[in-house]
Amino acid sequence: MRTGVIGLILPPTFSFLEMMWRICPALAVGCTVVALVPPASPTPLLLAQLSGELGPFPGILNVISGPASLVPVLASQPGIQKVAFCGALEEGRALRRTLAGECAELGLALGTESLLLLTDTADVDSAVEGVVDAAWSDRGPGGLRLLIQESVWDEAMRRLQERMGRLRSGRGLDGAVDMGARGAAACDLVQRFVREAQSQGAQVFQAGNVPSEHPFYPPTLVSNLPPASPCAQAEVPWPVVVASPFRTAKEALALANGTPRGGSASVWSERLGQALELGYGLQVGTVWINAHGLRDPSVPTGGCKESGCSWHGGPDGLYEYLRPSGTPARLSCLSKNLNYDTFGLAVPSTLPAGPEIGPSPAPPYGLFVGGRFQAPGARSSRPIQDSSGNLHGYVAEGGAKDIRGAVEAAHQAFPGWAGQFPGARAALLWALAAALERRKSTLASRLERQGVELKAAEAEVELSARRLRAWGARAQAQGHTLQVAGLRGPVLRLREPLGVLAVVCPDEWPLLAFVSLLAPALAYGNTVVMVPSAACPLLALEVCQGSQFVEWASAGNLKPVWANRGCLRAWDQETEGAGPELGLRSARTKALWLPMGD
Amino acid sequence: YEGHNKDLSWISKIQVNHPAVLRRAEQIQARRTVKKEWQGRAAWLLKAVTFIDLTTLSGDDTSSNIQRLCYKAKYPIREDLLKALNMYDKGITTAAVCVYPARVCDAVKALKAAGCNIPVASVATGFPAGQTHLKTRLEEIRLAVEDGATEIDVVINRSLVLTGQWEALYDEIRQFRKACGEAHLKTILATGELGSLTNVYKASMIAMMAGSDFIKTSTGKETVNATFPVAIVMLRAIRDFFWKTGNKIGFKPAGGIRSAKDSLAWLSLVKEELGNEWLKPELFRIGASTLLSDIERQIYHHVTGRYAAYHDLPMS
Repeated sequence: MRTGVIGLILPPTFSFLEMMWRICPALAVGCTVVALVPPASPTPLLLAQLSGELGPFPGILNVISGPASLVPVLASQPGIQKVAFCGALEEGRALRRTLAGECAELGLALGTESLLLLTDTADVDSAVEGVVDAAWSDRGPGGLRLLIQESVWDEAMRRLQERMGRLRSGRGLDGAVDMGARGAAACDLVQRFVREAQSQGAQVFQAGNVPSEHPFYPPTLVSNLPPASPCAQAEVPWPVVVASPFRTAKEALALANGTPRGGSASVWSERLGQALELGYGLQVGTVWINAHGLRDPSVPTGGCKESGCSWHGGPDGLYEYLRPSGTPARLSCLSKNLNYDTFGLAVPSTLPAGPEIGPSPAPPYGLFVGGRFQAPGARSSRPIQDSSGNLHGYVAEGGAKDIRGAVEAAHQAFPGWAGQFPGARAALLWALAAALERRKSTLASRLERQGVELKAAEAEVELSARRLRAWGARAQAQGHTLQVAGLRGPVLRLREPLGVLAVVCPDEWPLLAFVSLLAPALAYGNTVVMVPSAACPLLALEVCQGSQFVEWASAGNLKPVWANRGCLRAWDQETEGAGPELGLRSARTKALWLPMGD
Repeated sequence: YEGHNKDLSWISKIQVNHPAVLRRAEQIQARRTVKKEWQGRAAWLLKAVTFIDLTTLSGDDTSSNIQRLCYKAKYPIREDLLKALNMYDKGITTAAVCVYPARVCDAVKALKAAGCNIPVASVATGFPAGQTHLKTRLEEIRLAVEDGATEIDVVINRSLVLTGQWEALYDEIRQFRKACGEAHLKTILATGELGSLTNVYKASMIAMMAGSDFIKTSTGKETVNATFPVAIVMLRAIRDFFWKTGNKIGFKPAGGIRSAKDSLAWLSLVKEELGNEWLKPELFRIGASTLLSDIERQIYHHVTGRYAAYHDLPMS
């Protein structure tokens, strides 16, 4: 089912193709679009005029031309269901913060830098052409980080410099030039970057046939930039290529994955095994083998980490503008006075209702971390009351230190778990389902004490076991091959685990929701840190505020966030409890391009 | 040019990625290096004429058509058209005339009678398949040189490439070089039969190391002759050889170049990959036969504004 009204925000320099790729899928599934474009680029206005002439549906595409200060205004309009933002990192972060808790969903596509990995078994001349495609042409969106294997460093640098000398720059529409200009702002940005790089000791090489008027900037190659310098951490602007050497493929992966950017990368190697290993190991949204910059509408294009997690193209691109049918539209749960600094830090104090009567309760449950129960760091526990107000048991009160320990344990377990065959993961989920069934009576009686009827409780336990098995079976479904026009060779749409997932369970359906969130996460190879429901209805309000806090806090390193805003979810219904949305959220897509031919 | 010492390390680690080279070829064809204005275009077309090795390699060549060919080589464009372009006395001729070894005498005689000193190139070494004994192949070269050919187009032994015998290939071409003596050696790689672009690169390198003055894409008789991807690989080999030794080796595409538009695309390819220095007859030739008449028709159109009928232009 379609999302509704989409607000689209485009960066100061965007290509016509990028704009079409964001507007067309939205229109195709039935959404309407309001686009905010910078005044210097009037092309979308023409597109809007053309769409207005389409007769019976004026208003499906609306374009406003205005400065960047209008962005928060557009984003917080009440009628907009989703904001798709494409642009620079800091603006994306700020937008994430302002939109926390608002009605609109946010999709971010940030940054323009890409990566090129040149091994010693590559066709160096063709890789140099790949560098030109990536950074020194009108096809590439931004700058390039170039990693060259040390044994071919000299050869590659020589060919790069010679190729740069043959580049021609000029007006974009002239058929005899290789690259145009991107405006005064881009020119200033790159000048500052190059000056800073030089002051930190890097070598800067510039060449090419470039007019000397202002917005034109020559192709630039920067090498010997110290890795710890701020320039090396910042995004590489167009038309700069920052080159660094590496010794082995393992080192290359570490260097490549060691930046916050996760957009696109290419691997140049004529050895299939090595190329695939690097391709699978890079944490980016798109990997090209022995090519760079290939695009197609049927292949999903997106990123991870600080490149934002919105997609365009392919099935993922359509999912951006859809939501599962039957689910209600998102509500705003904005609380204007939420103090982000102190949220969640206070320890609630609950006094026991009266003197404890009855048999002394069982020892408190600890925190289950790293395969065994542990005592919490703060050594405090909290009483849990059942539906009639009596004491049900004690649970440990976990704190920040415990969370950190749990996350560390999850990180350590992740490589092993993600590396398991899907069959092994399925086997574990089935074993968990069997264990659940063995303890059915205990679980049902606990649920009964929380106020659930016996029959419903038993049904809940059975459904939980069934869900585990169903997701176990789906662990087999990995990626599939896409057909791309004009390319000889497959493009794989891989589904990879996200890593460590933090899950805070809702209060409704305490067992079923827990299991329904756990199972797909594990099936796709993630490790999880779960905070189960606190079994207390008073927390409903805090969950609402919790959603807003989580969205706000994710702006720190732009993690993908999925929050329910305090709405109840019908966990027993198939669509909401076990539908494709859960599977979509539990894994990350990567497009792997494999052009073939000899 | 005598050649270089055998050094197989120059080719041992080379890799060529076919799809990437295809993409680069498409890109080059989409770009426009030649200026659009008409004056520029006519100048480029005349330049293209000076690169042509006017060729006839048929079973039914006799002295009469050789004589017509040589005359056409001396006067490639009709006199009045050249006058209209102010290029009449500038010595516009084709670069050479290319014939079978048995017809070299006729060609030399005809050119002498026309008072023209453009070189006669002869194909040799079992053209086009090269599947004859080495002894007779070398003898062919010597006989052609004796008859007056000053350029020899040899074909390499493809079986050596396909079985990876690079040293043997080097040695053979070295012997061709010796047999040529003072004549220029153009080595035809027959790239359509070499199987992969990596083999094309390696064969180019070996040919240049062994003393070729030119490397040539094909005989014109294979199923696939001169294509852009193959040319890109050979031009990269020429550039790499220049970087290693400082020697400039020439490039000649042959076979399948029929229209003026094609020839301009080839000129711009060489300009893109190697630069202006290679755009002279000493370092660039086009092996063609019908190309010249198409160029003449384009120039006719440029000068008169009309399209020439079949009978308007002299037959070659």
